[in-house]
Amino acid sequence: MKTSTFRIPILFCVITLASLGNIFAQALDISSGGVPTITGASGGSVTGSSSVLNNLVVTINFGEISPSNTNGIVKVVVPIAVRSNQQYKVQATVTGSTNANAQALQRTDIGFGVNNFHSMGANARVCVNPHIFYSPFSNDPASNVTINVAGRATYPSTLNNAVATTTILSGPRLSNGTNARQTDDGYIFNAIFVITPQFYATGSTSATITFTISAGPSSSC
Amino acid sequence: MFKSIKLAATAAFITAIFVVAANAQTTTGTVNMSATVSKFVEINSGGAVTLTGNSGGGVTTDGTLNNPLAVVVNLGEVGPSNTNSFVTANVPLKLRSNAAYVLSMVATVSSTGSTANKIIAADVGFGLGTITRTGVGVNAAGVDVNATSGDPTLAANGAVNVGTGRFEYVTTKPTSLGAFSASTTALNGAFIMNAVPRSNAFGLLVPAIFSVKPQFYENGTTTATATFTITAP
Repeated sequence: MKTSTFRIPILFCVITLASLGNIFAQALDISSGGVPTITGASGGSVTGSSSVLNNLVVTINFGEISPSNTNGIVKVVVPIAVRSNQQYKVQATVTGSTNANAQALQRTDIGFGVNNFHSMGANARVCVNPHIFYSPFSNDPASNVTINVAGRATYPSTLNNAVATTTILSGPRLSNGTNARQTDDGYIFNAIFVITPQFYATGSTSATITFTISAGPSSSC
Repeated sequence: MFKSIKLAATAAFITAIFVVAANAQTTTGTVNMSATVSKFVEINSGGAVTLTGNSGGGVTTDGTLNNPLAVVVNLGEVGPSNTNSFVTANVPLKLRSNAAYVLSMVATVSSTGSTANKIIAADVGFGLGTITRTGVGVNAAGVDVNATSGDPTLAANGAVNVGTGRFEYVTTKPTSLGAFSASTTALNGAFIMNAVPRSNAFGLLVPAIFSVKPQFYENGTTTATATFTITAP
């Protein structure tokens, strides 16, 4: 058998592995930041990966949110990991059902905020310029519930603030590593979703919020 | 040897592909959320009981606003020695719901007497007074339908039977406990509360009025129990 017979696949492998280096280079990445949690729910649940190496796919069931849920608030905290080798921004976009009945659950009834931006570990890039949460999202809505003149619970920021694609976070480079999705090569922040049980009109409601990371505004490291 | 190299290269390639699959980056993540709102109704005390026209007796267990309704009233003497026209107990109820509701009542009356002159259910007047939907968070536009005759002491709701001489409540509409020997609708209406938390202080206020006309009843004691139930059919 000729030596050239083996040169071709070996060369192919080498080229493939070399190109993987580029794929692995952390351009922009968003993933699970850990196990999500839920409190104050009656029949509710939240599912998502506890591993920061897995994609961000979270399903929240707030459960019963009529007054039969006697808890003051249903709160879900979803950790989200972000990595990049460049300045970045994270945007949120809400889609899903709306309710024609004003007394039914609306997007404005679902508080949404972000906080607790923190390093994942040794390979998180430390830059001079800060990472910035955008207004009005930088809050824990569970700690900022107010009652409006109609008697309804309100929050500083809600899903209604992200119906159009909206930037919630931006900053300088996030990662040092050259490999993809290490456990210590980026930052994690919490996305917080809350609903106050109220005398909503009966029915069920669903919505989806999509987080997208992309090249962000100038922010040198 | 060449075979070994080939195998190694193949393994490296396959491994690389799996590594890509495991560590592939994504620029989007999703959070799907859902919630459920079921029908909710509640009945509580609307406040303190008012007892008037009584001779003796009193409110044994009073109502406390927003607490479960568990009122005990002693109407006192209802024989002719009580010279008032009526002994009346006004028991405030507070209803709340996020859906159309039905308030029903069932009553039992028992007396120690043994003749037709003892107090019976038809001798205990009952009706719901003026119903109010006011306050922040209350669906003020909602309509309520009172199935009773209102205040049973109103002149239109009772009169002396010219044949027997006994005072009787009218029977064209529910005006006495005699109409509630089985669970019967007393009130129904549209949803009561807008989307406000349970901590909201307001609701639908309903005065439940019970009355007895002092008469020459057979002597003895009488016990009556009225149980209210709210549902969202």
